[in-house]
Amino acid sequence: MIRRLLSLMGPGQATQLRRAVWCLGAAAAVQGVAFGVLLPVLRALVSGEPQRAWPWLAVLAVAVGAYALLHSRGVVAGRRAGYALGGVLHERLGDHVVTLPLGWFTTTRVGSLGRVATQNVMSVMGVPGHLLDPLAHAVVTPATVVAVLLFVDWRIAVGALVAAPVVIAAHRWTGRLVQRTDQAADAAGAEAGGQVVEFARNQPVLRAFGRSAHGFALLDDALVSARNAARRMLRTALPGLAGFVLAVQTAFTALLVLGAALAAGADVDLPAVVVALVLAVRFTEPLLSAAELGAALRMAAGSLDRIEAVFAARALPEPERSAPLGSPSIEFDRVRFGYDDRPVLDDVSFTVAPGTTTALVGASGAGKSTVVRLVARFFDVDSGSVRVGGADVRELRTADLLGLIAPVFQDTYLFDTTLEDNIRLGRPDAGEEEVREAARLAGVTEIVRRLPDGWQTRVGEGGTRLSGGERQRVAIARALLKDAPIVLLDEATAALDAENEAAVTTALATLARGRTLLVIAHRLSTVRNADRIVVLDGGRVADAGTHEELLERGGRYADFVTQRENARGWRIAAGRN
Amino acid sequence: MILIRPVHGRLITGIACQALAALAGVVPFVAVAEVGRALLSGGPWWHHVMLGVAALPVRVVLLTAATTLTHLADNDLQLHLRRKLAAHLGRLPLGWFSARGSGAVKRAVHDDVAALHHLVAHSLLDLVTAVVVPVTSMLYLLAIDPLMTVITLLPLGAGLLLHARAMRDVTARMAEYHQATQRLDNAVVEFVHGIAVVKAFGQTGKAHRRFRDAARSYGTFVTGWAEQVTPSLTRSQLAQAPLVALLVVLTAGTALIGAGLLTPVDLIPFVVLGIGLSTPTLAISYSVQDLRAGRAATGRIEDLLATPPLPEPAHPREVPLGPARVELDSVRFRYDDGAEVLHGIDLVLEPGTVTALVGPSGSGKSTLAALVARFHDVPEGAVRINGVDIRDLPSAQLYRWIGFVLQDVRLLRTTVLDNIRLARPDADFDEVVRVARAARIHDRITELPDGYLTVLGDDVRLSGGEAQRVSIARALLADTPVLVLDEATAFADAESEAAIQEAISELADGRTVLVIAHRLSTVVDADQIVVLDGGVVVERGRHTELLAAGGRYAALWAVHA
Repeated sequence: MIRRLLSLMGPGQATQLRRAVWCLGAAAAVQGVAFGVLLPVLRALVSGEPQRAWPWLAVLAVAVGAYALLHSRGVVAGRRAGYALGGVLHERLGDHVVTLPLGWFTTTRVGSLGRVATQNVMSVMGVPGHLLDPLAHAVVTPATVVAVLLFVDWRIAVGALVAAPVVIAAHRWTGRLVQRTDQAADAAGAEAGGQVVEFARNQPVLRAFGRSAHGFALLDDALVSARNAARRMLRTALPGLAGFVLAVQTAFTALLVLGAALAAGADVDLPAVVVALVLAVRFTEPLLSAAELGAALRMAAGSLDRIEAVFAARALPEPERSAPLGSPSIEFDRVRFGYDDRPVLDDVSFTVAPGTTTALVGASGAGKSTVVRLVARFFDVDSGSVRVGGADVRELRTADLLGLIAPVFQDTYLFDTTLEDNIRLGRPDAGEEEVREAARLAGVTEIVRRLPDGWQTRVGEGGTRLSGGERQRVAIARALLKDAPIVLLDEATAALDAENEAAVTTALATLARGRTLLVIAHRLSTVRNADRIVVLDGGRVADAGTHEELLERGGRYADFVTQRENARGWRIAAGRN
Repeated sequence: MILIRPVHGRLITGIACQALAALAGVVPFVAVAEVGRALLSGGPWWHHVMLGVAALPVRVVLLTAATTLTHLADNDLQLHLRRKLAAHLGRLPLGWFSARGSGAVKRAVHDDVAALHHLVAHSLLDLVTAVVVPVTSMLYLLAIDPLMTVITLLPLGAGLLLHARAMRDVTARMAEYHQATQRLDNAVVEFVHGIAVVKAFGQTGKAHRRFRDAARSYGTFVTGWAEQVTPSLTRSQLAQAPLVALLVVLTAGTALIGAGLLTPVDLIPFVVLGIGLSTPTLAISYSVQDLRAGRAATGRIEDLLATPPLPEPAHPREVPLGPARVELDSVRFRYDDGAEVLHGIDLVLEPGTVTALVGPSGSGKSTLAALVARFHDVPEGAVRINGVDIRDLPSAQLYRWIGFVLQDVRLLRTTVLDNIRLARPDADFDEVVRVARAARIHDRITELPDGYLTVLGDDVRLSGGEAQRVSIARALLADTPVLVLDEATAFADAESEAAIQEAISELADGRTVLVIAHRLSTVVDADQIVVLDGGVVVERGRHTELLAAGGRYAALWAVHA
């Protein structure tokens, strides 16, 4: 564990950690050895010559001084190492995560990354900061005491040495039992937690159907099964815990009986037996805390595993220098791609000429989003190639590639800062006028008017104060401000209210002007106005051409258009009574 | 600590077992001391050994019993509290949820209740041990030699004093510490959620810098914090170290023996028990932290339970179900601390008619509809059904009157069957099939892997349009006289839309309907169109009348068309 930590730290911080390990280990050893003083002191006292004890007491005092010094140095070094470790881990996580491809950031990964960067880092920081000291006392001190015992009374020392493995084995067994049942209980706990979130998130619908105050069976079932799982865990783990206590207590008692039996023999060094018993007491006690510390250490190791798993995720390879770029076209050349084992795109080829708009249409699951993501190199293709500006995206540096692209995706994340800052993300050096202009074009000005603090209103974590449609307008403003030659647009599936819908349509038209646009289209008007339409079906290009060409050919696209034209939402009739 | 009451019988028994176990734990130490004394003074000692051995099984049994009891108590307490919280949450105004988010609910119902685990199952027991062991040892030592006992206690006393002083510093700055952690957490959340966006805009450096700055300032803070509190904590630890106790005991013992005030034999108990006195106290410094966390969690749970729910009527009125006339009378509304969003709305929904609410986003349409379903209570004015204020209807009654098809359809992670019969869990299968057919979703359901018993969620997802039809089936089954329809704004897949059209027509038939319309084409045929703007009704009438009037509606229509 320590070695794993050392490998993560820089040389300066590693020195701190080494110092902490040595100081605390030495302090614990000094403590163990110092107990040996007990024998000469007791001999002196029993033999009726207390004055002979004083030199030994002086030795003990020196040992206490040394212990105090080593211990406090060690603790301080440990804390420092712990915090330094936290800093290093945060820094390295930050540095590493930014290199990962966009495709890495799935919802699950993002959620667990949050936990890694907080809880897991804290837990690892605690190893040098808080665990090292008690650990040294629980392991090094008893070991030294046994060594000292060898000189005091070797038979009791042997007894202690025999007892130790038994205690350790019992501990291991307990640990495994607890771990196994813990997992089951964790799963039930997570399910219950999930149901709680669902309960909260679905309040409107649960209320509307009277399933809230009057008992929501799903939640209750989950809560009960979490309770039952915890209870099952108790039933399995308890014998383990009891067994462990039994093992420690038995070792302790066995040593007591052994000491007594030895004392019964003729011609014994009584003070030595007494001291051996006292030392044996000192030896067993820390073993109990070793058990708890072991569990804490295992948890920290688990945390470290998860941190290292993030480090193990690889960035997509980048060239030293980007290939030269031509005019902003997009080309797919026999692209095949799949997530893990699930094929998504198969032999997809099409070209978006510079300054034109291409609409992607197709049923959900046809691979539209994947196409757009591949342009931004969320992932690398399995075979074939994706070219932007004539260069394979793999031959462009990430910064250069993304510099060409303005994305407007549906799940736009907004930072909990002002609207203005959120838009300015598109181009940080933009002047206020430019930001306002982009906002106006995207219809964000309407939103600003409604907000209590206008431009200075904070939008809430993830932009929660804005509706989905409003967030997309902010995303459009960002893209307008960025003014990149290529725009990737995942058109909102959500309809905006009439007034703003008009605003957004205009904004998109402005965005498209003079730029290369690849759009996942849901609106018929968007599709109709595109220069070219690519129809995807089951990961293949089913057809491509202009609106008129495709209509003429009939087939999938014609179906799509007829359906869109017929389906303009439902209408509600007047009451019939 | 009222929260603990339901399980306090078991807790007290557990604590008693633990106290006895702690006592039994001291016995072997006393036995060792007594054996030592007997050996040195030449007395009989086997019975001491026997006593030590006898204490062993007693301790194991009692410890196990104590742990079992507190854990069982903890299990039941968690279930009890979670149920209580869920029941309470179900009666809070919906505004409480939108202001806090589901994270806050999870924290209260799940995390805070779990935080009590350590308090209830472990910390109390640790505390008992930490008190019983030193007190019993001390009593035994007092019986051997009072003066020596006092001297032995000195380092422990000094240690506790130093610890208290150190903790005073710690507690004083605990709030700062929590803030620093909170800031780091926020930076982490923003970093991990925003990184994809930021990367796409090539601003990686900036966001990364923000995160790094937060991490660094956290590092600086905690390092400074630790440098301040570590020395005093270490000093207190040192004072309680067994080695220091050994030095004190042996030095005092040697001096007292030299002065003839103590026999060497009587020193043995102090060597055996005296140097271990502080061990349990050291252990509780961990428990104290758990206790503090537990107390904070308890506080939050109590606060939540103290949040006033929507009041149930003192004199509930039963109204026979039938055609409903809904009336909004000078309704004003504001969210918790915000500005007023509805400024005196008067509106009547005649039985069996369709009323459409239109207006720009933020005009108050959704709020108005939410008030009809009593998601919030109106501070001024009243909402009445057939002349009865909805606040006078028991909440169990209210949902038999009002059904809801929400814009953002929420299907639960359970079977399709249970999703449809949400309002009437006891509805039989045939009825469910009937409404599913009426909602034009039956055929799709039968195509699912397990038909009506398919669990919706990660493996099987319905498209937006399909989910909407399930929610229509749900409302059909609920069969309420009043129906609030929040028009979905998502583009459903085309074939879905035609089906939705048919399903909606089935649903609206014969009911009093309030539609929140986002597309004007939806509502041209409504009996009454109400145009909201800025929280007031600016126009009302039929489509043709409003167009002829050439006002706000006509303007909206012009943009729309």
